[in-house]
Amino acid sequence: MGNLLAHGLGKTLLSATFAIAIGLSLGACEEKKQEEAAQQPAQQESTTAQPAAEPQETQTASTAAPAAKVPEEVVLSRGFGASPDTLDPHVNFGAREGWIQDDMYEGLVSYDSKGNLVPGAAEKWESSDDGKLWTFHLRDGLKWSNGDPLVAQDFVNAVTRQMEPKTASPRGYYFYSTLQIEGAAEFSEKDGNDPKTVGISAPDDRTIVIKLINPNPNILYLMGSYYVPPLHKPSFDKFGGDFVKPGNIVNNGAYMMTELVPQSHVTLVKNPNYWDAANVKIDKVVYVVTEDDQTELKRYKADELDTTNEIPSDQIDALKAELGGQVRLTTYVESQYLSFNVTKPPFDNIKVRQALAIGIDRQVLQEKILKAGYQVNCGYSPPNDERYPQPQVPECNMTNEERAEKGKALLAEAGFGPDNPLKVSIESTTDNTAKKQAEGIALMWKQTLGVDAKVNAQEFQAWMDTFYAGGWDVLNDNLVGDMPGPESHLSYMKPSAEPGYNWKSDKYEELMNQASEKADIAERYKVMAEAEKALLDDYLVTPLNVTTSRHLVKPWLKGWDDNNLDVHPTKLLSVEK
Amino acid sequence: MFSFAIRRIIGAIPTLFALITLSFFIMRVAPGGPFSGNRKLTEAVLANLNRAYHLDEPIWMQFGRYLWGLARFDFGPSMKYRDYSVTELIVQGFPVSVEVGFWAMLVATILGITLGIVGALRRNGVIDLSAGIIAMVGIAVPTFVIGPLLQILFGLELKWFPIAGWDGSINAKILPIFVLALPNIAYISRLTRGSMIEALRTNYVRTARAKGIGAMRVIWKHALTGAMLPVIAYLGPATAITVTGSVVVEQIFGIPGIGRYFVEGASNRDYPLVMGVTILYGGIVILANIVTDVVRGLLDPKVSYE
Repeated sequence: MGNLLAHGLGKTLLSATFAIAIGLSLGACEEKKQEEAAQQPAQQESTTAQPAAEPQETQTASTAAPAAKVPEEVVLSRGFGASPDTLDPHVNFGAREGWIQDDMYEGLVSYDSKGNLVPGAAEKWESSDDGKLWTFHLRDGLKWSNGDPLVAQDFVNAVTRQMEPKTASPRGYYFYSTLQIEGAAEFSEKDGNDPKTVGISAPDDRTIVIKLINPNPNILYLMGSYYVPPLHKPSFDKFGGDFVKPGNIVNNGAYMMTELVPQSHVTLVKNPNYWDAANVKIDKVVYVVTEDDQTELKRYKADELDTTNEIPSDQIDALKAELGGQVRLTTYVESQYLSFNVTKPPFDNIKVRQALAIGIDRQVLQEKILKAGYQVNCGYSPPNDERYPQPQVPECNMTNEERAEKGKALLAEAGFGPDNPLKVSIESTTDNTAKKQAEGIALMWKQTLGVDAKVNAQEFQAWMDTFYAGGWDVLNDNLVGDMPGPESHLSYMKPSAEPGYNWKSDKYEELMNQASEKADIAERYKVMAEAEKALLDDYLVTPLNVTTSRHLVKPWLKGWDDNNLDVHPTKLLSVEK
Repeated sequence: MFSFAIRRIIGAIPTLFALITLSFFIMRVAPGGPFSGNRKLTEAVLANLNRAYHLDEPIWMQFGRYLWGLARFDFGPSMKYRDYSVTELIVQGFPVSVEVGFWAMLVATILGITLGIVGALRRNGVIDLSAGIIAMVGIAVPTFVIGPLLQILFGLELKWFPIAGWDGSINAKILPIFVLALPNIAYISRLTRGSMIEALRTNYVRTARAKGIGAMRVIWKHALTGAMLPVIAYLGPATAITVTGSVVVEQIFGIPGIGRYFVEGASNRDYPLVMGVTILYGGIVILANIVTDVVRGLLDPKVSYE
């Protein structure tokens, strides 16, 4: 019976389905052709053409470029990774969001393509002999993107906004801890304090004066767009927290935002009011959200992106062979290390900590296990300032025999051996590379030292909780610095600055305080090196590596130079096809 | 029937309230807080942040504050995406998820039912066997494998479609819609095939045929109506799941929908965002179930609205 029914009907249904399918694909092809024809100038055009059709999905500023297409418009598509957390310039604490910030804002100083400091909104500056008083002179005729004059007070307001508790900015501490501006610590304690009590002021529209408690020769690194993006007070007063949305936002950098679609893209266009607009070569830059690094790679290969945010770490070698110089690996200002819980037995015994530090073959860890392009580091801070005489841990270059012998001997002295193996748990985040690293170390400890090591991988938030709860043995730890050189890393480890490690060292604290009073960089670094040695000698941490920033960059993109800070402002780039 | 729907909607209110209460407190049990990115924050900063988002208050007060906000349709601020409120994020992302989900379900329903009927009518024929294989692939191979494979084939090699991105063009939508539809095509075709085979064997179909009613009419009117009941029971919840977005498809194809917020919101401990999408999802599931029940009542004389 089924067959009886089937014959005629099956055929009809089938042919109907095929007809629909063919019709659909033909339609799609036609559509594609039309679009291709319309999109000759640049494939990214569709991102701006779209909002007109579906306004509910996007926010488009009234200042958006008119629909008319100028054929020679130069558009850059940059892979961005996950959607930006916040683009509020005074709240943002993310490095990637910092790229957008570098394009949209100009601080007192700016970077060149190699990450060197060059004049920004300030054309020149000077400091007093004791290094405590800094005066910045703004360029003449600076303007906001809406044409308003940009004045010195706008930079002062930016600093005070970041310090006010109600802003809840993660960055207020730069100005009272890293930089130690007079009166900053007191000001940031509660809302409603008088900003005039802070040692940063604008005596006239083109002068900014900063008074420091202690000298800081690295102050200029904290005067860029990431740290002191000026505040356009009229738009902030009018829109509150929404002043960063397209349509409301007023900024002073080379680019301004026309479109922001969460989880999709951020579009910036050239700011005609920027003082150096004549030298800005790229007309439009689209930061494309690329959460999945494999998709990002494919989009790059299909020329949908000019640069990527990441290179999948397991494909570095293959891509180097395939794409050659398009693979860009540069050491970053982030160091990775293990931290030991110095208050928890048996890790309160320095011999145990030392044995574990010895048990790691850092070379093998980087080259055979991680293969992420990281660089072995034998000190705590990232070694990226030639002027700094970084102390090195002695176990860094031991042979495997030495490791096993010395490590086991130390453990035996602490009462551990084959009958009574030391039990260790490494707390790691669930990040793939971090987990791989922790597992590699656990394996080395097992093989070289006979230690019973395991890895406990948790989500970042839970890992953080574990750290502050204090019950951990060993932490797979890391820190990103704010500038080249050891200072941001070493300041962070001051027991008074980060009590989470339960480390007590009057020597370290005192050396760091001494260093912070030195205005001469060579003397300052000399004392800091002593402090770092004290830190390493105590085996509170044991260094592992310096991470890398990994990007793919198309050969036609000029002006993209590798640098430790991983800064690549679009205004310095150009396209030469 | 109308009063049935109203009764069901009123009955859903306590369900939603239970959902809200449970998710609110379960979220807080998870270790860690919302304010940690890649860098550690100083204590003073954390205190400022907690104060700004009222996380320093006792949890009962926070719950009261949240319910009071909900009563005014305010889902609160996102703690991860600080420039946005949860409402703004949902308003921006939900239409995208609905668009992809709607087309995916439409494609899946049409193709799935067609393949299922053909399979049932020509059992073990070429079409049936190949549909069976496709269905097995659709069910067994996860979207995070199929998606990248199709990207390589149609994006990198053939260059028919863009790899990813959401620029509003139809081209950019085809691959994600197909990938999202695939498992549903598989399920629906298998369900349709199975229940169609059963329906063709029933007495009422044989009687109808014996009375001389034409083959087409018997299949469309008698057999298919009965065979659709399990399919419709599946379509309700499946549609609810599909239109609220898929984290995998959204991440692979760069679609700015809300599917990712379930997963990301939870792992970032973005409490208000998780609550917002959970309530939305719960509401849609409840709605889809009501619609399913109404449609089943229309098709199946055995179902009563009492």
